[in-house]
Amino acid sequence: MMDHDSQLKLQAWLDGELAAQEAAQFDERLAKDPEAQALLGELKMTRAVLAGFEAGVKLPEPPEFFWSKIRREIEREPGRVAPSRRASLLAGWRRWLASAGAMAAGMAAVMLIARSERGPATETSLADSGAFTYHDFAARTTLVWLSYPADNELARNDEADTVE
Amino acid sequence: MTGKEYGPENDAALVRAAQRGDTAAFGELVVRHRDKIYARALSMVRNEEEAVDLSQEAWVKGWQRLPQFLGESSFGTWMTRIVINLCLDHLRKQKRQRMESIEAIDEESGGVERQMPVVTVNPTAGLERSELRERIDHALGQLSFEHRTVLVLHEFEQMEYKEIAKTMGCSIGTVMSRLFYARRKMAALLAGLRKEGLR
Repeated sequence: MMDHDSQLKLQAWLDGELAAQEAAQFDERLAKDPEAQALLGELKMTRAVLAGFEAGVKLPEPPEFFWSKIRREIEREPGRVAPSRRASLLAGWRRWLASAGAMAAGMAAVMLIARSERGPATETSLADSGAFTYHDFAARTTLVWLSYPADNELARNDEADTVE
Repeated sequence: MTGKEYGPENDAALVRAAQRGDTAAFGELVVRHRDKIYARALSMVRNEEEAVDLSQEAWVKGWQRLPQFLGESSFGTWMTRIVINLCLDHLRKQKRQRMESIEAIDEESGGVERQMPVVTVNPTAGLERSELRERIDHALGQLSFEHRTVLVLHEFEQMEYKEIAKTMGCSIGTVMSRLFYARRKMAALLAGLRKEGLR
């Protein structure tokens, strides 16, 4: 009987998620293993059955009514301005906040260094995340500085939507 | 419908107009993509009313985030990701409000999918489109939201394992196990439904 790892590998092979070399090795196994062939047949069948499942699904409300609800929500925002204008105001506020935050973090770090002259201290910066940490072991203090907003569009989406 | 007549402009031109505050242009985008966004919400939450509300919420969110849309993906894909995230949040909240589903317990107790006999005959062969849809819908409803979501993201959204793991906040190994279980369970359920239908 196929073990679970082999079953998952078979699935990955079907989904094109195996590296070329591993996929070639699996081709050979598949040719000689009737159990793997049967399981592959089932996985393919499930995939084929699901294809096109969403096609033809229609919103069960008249388009005018649906849009009117969305427009009402959009226009409900007080002092509504074009999104790009709002974004620039927000961006300005964020820039100000980032500068003020950086100054405050810098001052705090200087104060901590002055107070603790004794113990070793380390600084770490993570290029990808834009995070910067300062550890003062003697003072048992860690400062973490995060750049904001995030660098890319996708990160902004994730940040706003993901709860867990 | 939106007060302006739009020709066959591509989405990018409508998005640019909407980003300048043109609600009519945004309305046209809603008209063009509303069914797809609703269909995705319905596949995930399996409740028409909730799917309508979530897709509406997604459109409002889409408007608010238009400045963040840089055209790295198509507008339709971008909107679909918004509704997927909203549905995931909604389902997680629902799950917290009720007991763990039997499916989730099965997954944790380990390996029921490994003992399931392989389905060798297509149990949906010869079915009418509406009947097939009904059976798939019923079978999807038997899966826990985690299994259903992995299946939807992979089969309908064509996401890779890595991307699903990121969206769901779990490991690639978990995605692979859930997808395998979901597919096998779907096959077994469809085969079971076929037998019931023949009685």
